Amino acid sequence: MGIEIEFISSEMLDDKNENEKMRFILEKIKKNKILVIEESLSSLEETHLIEETMSQIDEKFSGIEVSTLKERTSGGIRDRLIRFLGGRTGGLTVIGPSRLIKKVKKEPQKILLLAEKKK
Amino acid sequence: MRWFRRMFGRRKIIRLGFYGPPNAGKTTLANRIAMDWTGEPVGKVSEIPHETREVQKKERVVVQTKGKKLIMNLLDMPGIATKIDYEDFLKHGLSIDDAQQRAKEATRGVIEAIKWLENVDTALVVMDSTKDPYTQVNITIIGNLEARNIPVIIVANKVDLKDAKPERIQDAFPQHPVVKVSGLKGKNIDSLYEAIAEHSR
Repeated sequence: MGIEIEFISSEMLDDKNENEKMRFILEKIKKNKILVIEESLSSLEETHLIEETMSQIDEKFSGIEVSTLKERTSGGIRDRLIRFLGGRTGGLTVIGPSRLIKKVKKEPQKILLLAEKKK
Repeated sequence: MRWFRRMFGRRKIIRLGFYGPPNAGKTTLANRIAMDWTGEPVGKVSEIPHETREVQKKERVVVQTKGKKLIMNLLDMPGIATKIDYEDFLKHGLSIDDAQQRAKEATRGVIEAIKWLENVDTALVVMDSTKDPYTQVNITIIGNLEARNIPVIIVANKVDLKDAKPERIQDAFPQHPVVKVSGLKGKNIDSLYEAIAEHSR
């Protein structure tokens, strides 16, 4: 069995509030998928995601690895203005189950990810 | 207004939060400060990650630094992580039951540490100088504190170790003051007090 990677456009998350967004992400990750999302989560969204993840950890699910490029500062004037004008703030988020992602290395301009399925 | 408050106002107690990933040396550092000024530790330290699984407090720690008096409540937080795998604890010799119990308590600890972000006046973000500082957890913690407008002091800990490269921390987070210390050996702790006095609100 290979590793499934799902690429998600930011439009798919547009109509979801923060709770729905977190549930949507975690449901997919718990199905052993790696997600590449066409937007960066803000640090407040990330802490929300960590809280949700922690509440769902059990013997089968041990958590996530997450990395973002070009973090948004939540509520930043630039981003708010871009969104007000109907634009997108851009960025990228990679998230996956920690038992699948062996290593994730973040650099300011790129993310390196090594995934491996347990035999 | 600041100088007026400083001269005539009631001396403020700084709620000092120790944040960071597991095993960065938060409790060792908090113990160093508490032992130096109260003679009592804040909590137990261990090689096994997630030893601190609930917020540990030491209240009214009075520190003298360069003629200034700091009164602090030390709030030693559980380490923040995105994953907690009970199987990792088995490698440290814990039984399956103990490992699963520890994992469960650790997940609650992470949630508690995040909830406490609203209740600190100044945050020490403690990092292990021998490790890559540019991790998502460190970036998330710092980004969150910035979004809440909480002063951040980054502590490059474990500088006594041979592989320590505290300058990497400075390069990764140039927007915040970085103090290089060894909580274990008590190295450069006075500079940390000065930074707390300078940057706390």
